[in-house]
Amino acid sequence: MSDPSSGAAAALRRTLASWLSAPEADSRRASLPTVMLFLAPALLVYAALTAYPVLRTFYNSFFNVADLASSEFVGWTHYAEVFKDKTFWAAVRNTAIWSVIGPVLDVVAGLLLALCLYAGVPFSRFLRVAWFTPVLLSYVVVGIMWVWIYNYDWGVVNGLLRAVGLQAWSQAWLGDPRFALGSLIVTHAWKWAGFNMVVCLAALHSLPSEVLEAAELDNCGWWHKLTDVIVPMLWPTLLNLYILAFIGKMKVFDLVWIMTEGGPVWSTETVSTYVYKRAFNWNTFDLGYPSAIAVVWFFVVVGFVVFFNVLFRRRERMEY
Amino acid sequence: MTPFPRSPAGSGRAAARRSAAAAIALAAALLALPGTPAMAQPQTLTMWSHWPDEASKRSFIEERVKQFEAATPQCKVNLQFVQKADLYTSVKTSVRTGQAPDIFWLEPDEIAFAKSGYLEPLDKYIDLANLEDWAKRAWTWNGKVYAMPQEAYSVELYYNRDLMKKIGVTPPAGMQMTQAQFTEMVKRSVAAGITPTATGVGDRPYPGAYFLQEILLRKLGTEDYEKLLTGKLPFQDPRVIEAMTWVKQLVDAGMFPRSMATMKLGESHYYFHTNPGALMFPIASWYTGRAFVAPEKGGQPKDFALGLMKYPAMDGSKCPECKTLAVGGSYVMYARSKNKECAGKMLSSLATVENGNKWMESVLLQTGVRTDPSRITSIYAPYFKELQERGAGARYFIGTPLHYMSGKCGDTFAQVLNRAFPGGLVSVNDAAAQMDAACKAAG
Repeated sequence: MSDPSSGAAAALRRTLASWLSAPEADSRRASLPTVMLFLAPALLVYAALTAYPVLRTFYNSFFNVADLASSEFVGWTHYAEVFKDKTFWAAVRNTAIWSVIGPVLDVVAGLLLALCLYAGVPFSRFLRVAWFTPVLLSYVVVGIMWVWIYNYDWGVVNGLLRAVGLQAWSQAWLGDPRFALGSLIVTHAWKWAGFNMVVCLAALHSLPSEVLEAAELDNCGWWHKLTDVIVPMLWPTLLNLYILAFIGKMKVFDLVWIMTEGGPVWSTETVSTYVYKRAFNWNTFDLGYPSAIAVVWFFVVVGFVVFFNVLFRRRERMEY
Repeated sequence: MTPFPRSPAGSGRAAARRSAAAAIALAAALLALPGTPAMAQPQTLTMWSHWPDEASKRSFIEERVKQFEAATPQCKVNLQFVQKADLYTSVKTSVRTGQAPDIFWLEPDEIAFAKSGYLEPLDKYIDLANLEDWAKRAWTWNGKVYAMPQEAYSVELYYNRDLMKKIGVTPPAGMQMTQAQFTEMVKRSVAAGITPTATGVGDRPYPGAYFLQEILLRKLGTEDYEKLLTGKLPFQDPRVIEAMTWVKQLVDAGMFPRSMATMKLGESHYYFHTNPGALMFPIASWYTGRAFVAPEKGGQPKDFALGLMKYPAMDGSKCPECKTLAVGGSYVMYARSKNKECAGKMLSSLATVENGNKWMESVLLQTGVRTDPSRITSIYAPYFKELQERGAGARYFIGTPLHYMSGKCGDTFAQVLNRAFPGGLVSVNDAAAQMDAACKAAG
């Protein structure tokens, strides 16, 4: 028998001992096995539910996938087709409009609501809850509710217009390509304004009171106080909210699907609804083409995230 | 009785070996016993059906399943009713991974399931002689039949007799108006503040095109109409343009409700028979599935004066007697089902003339299963008689546009002819050009 204290066995034992024992340098640091023990569940969930689907989508985009068990390799064919697809470009245009305009509406609405509460309007405690409630509603509820609100015959919007003598302005808000996308953007802003309001309100309360008091001492009017003092100081918060909303709207799906399914004549089609349609609504079982659209859009969204990150870092360097 | 003969040697070792062999044989026999007849193992089928909110159809299927379970104790059925859109989404996802239910509900526009190998041919499971030939054709792929065509329907033009009287119009004896008569009726209806037709496309890709498609069928005749739907005849054909131009005139005159784009199919029923009320309802004969239930459950009022007329014949119509007949909700078997024997028996139990009659009697709707109309009795017999009268002498075209169109072509049909054209959002030429471009591109 060989000496147990020498050779490979001893080296292995020493390695295991070093892993299992607490590190000598810093007793507060957990050993690798301990770290792995705690990380493993989260890593497994991440790998199974995020990493694998993403990688599988990349992989599928190079195949005709009628069945996961049998696929046909088509190379870059789907990607070439995506860039020639008119419906895809209509979806890109709508998503771009939504992503750029929607967040402005969200943030401005949230800021105005927050200013109302900050100024101490009557019933502010009730209003704070009421304005935040839409955030808690699911898209299904919001979508169905707003389809009723926009209904041509009995909807509240047209009802109000008729009541004030503006019957000629009443529209099939979701049935007309000129208004459908705008109507959806308004609905989305209504849902999320409460969230932006809470964030803006918190930021308003954290503003240095000396600056605001100094503005008042200088007889600064409310408009100038808002535009020259409050908004500049809130700017980083507002910008963050805008970017968060922008990224979210690049993937907008639920509300569109519930309210218009991308119609009429693709006027509200977004990239997400188009991917879903191609994957599950058309009479085809090919997952390859929708995967290619999803991959293209994934890189577009990642590109914007990187762009905003770089932009923020530069601003931070400039400010500090 | 000695199960194993004694060894002549009778030694201790041999005896031990014999005991061991006997024990093994006994154990093997015991293990084998419960599994001897394969079908003695109870099987539980999963069956997904549409029609969760259509009481008569739901009751019919539930009753048939109960009878099947009573007659076939080794087979249990886990029956679930799911809305069509959700059902389609679920099965389209689950067939790819082997997780689909043993039996599920489809319509023939989803024949792609069979083409992709997800459906089991039913030729050896059900008696095909019990199915109507046209219904079998709707589900035939490569010479095999892939579904049990439970529901069939014709595209009808329902109307409210009371409102018709109110606007001072009397339908002609043959119940088919001319182009001019129909135009006049629509104008009178609009002038009286009554929406001429109740149509909602908020959750369906086809009802907005029912009126146009029936006009096109009558204008072109069955052969050219089929060519149109299969991309062999362009939508820019002068006869098609003529028909679309007339329908566009009706659209511009206010034929469809302004809320059509977001109104759901179920809401359009209510719009027609209850509030605000419409003169006509161009819809398939499965109207009864939702309408012939109690008013508190969304059905038509008890005293509702439901009438049926033929679609108008345009001037110069090639086939004024033509009419669409189509297979609707059908039951298919999943190709990877582990319970094919029970699933086959379940489908076979549905495909009988007796059940065809029961379906017509209780649901008041056509079926792809053969029937014996002479035996049918029902409290709705007058309605059924009228439905038969409207179909008398008809020359049927089998299938609706979405049974022929798929991919980009089908999507354009849903967006343009189903929604934008009846909504007055696109011109005749634009609609025709979009259809041609999409259907030509789709091949």
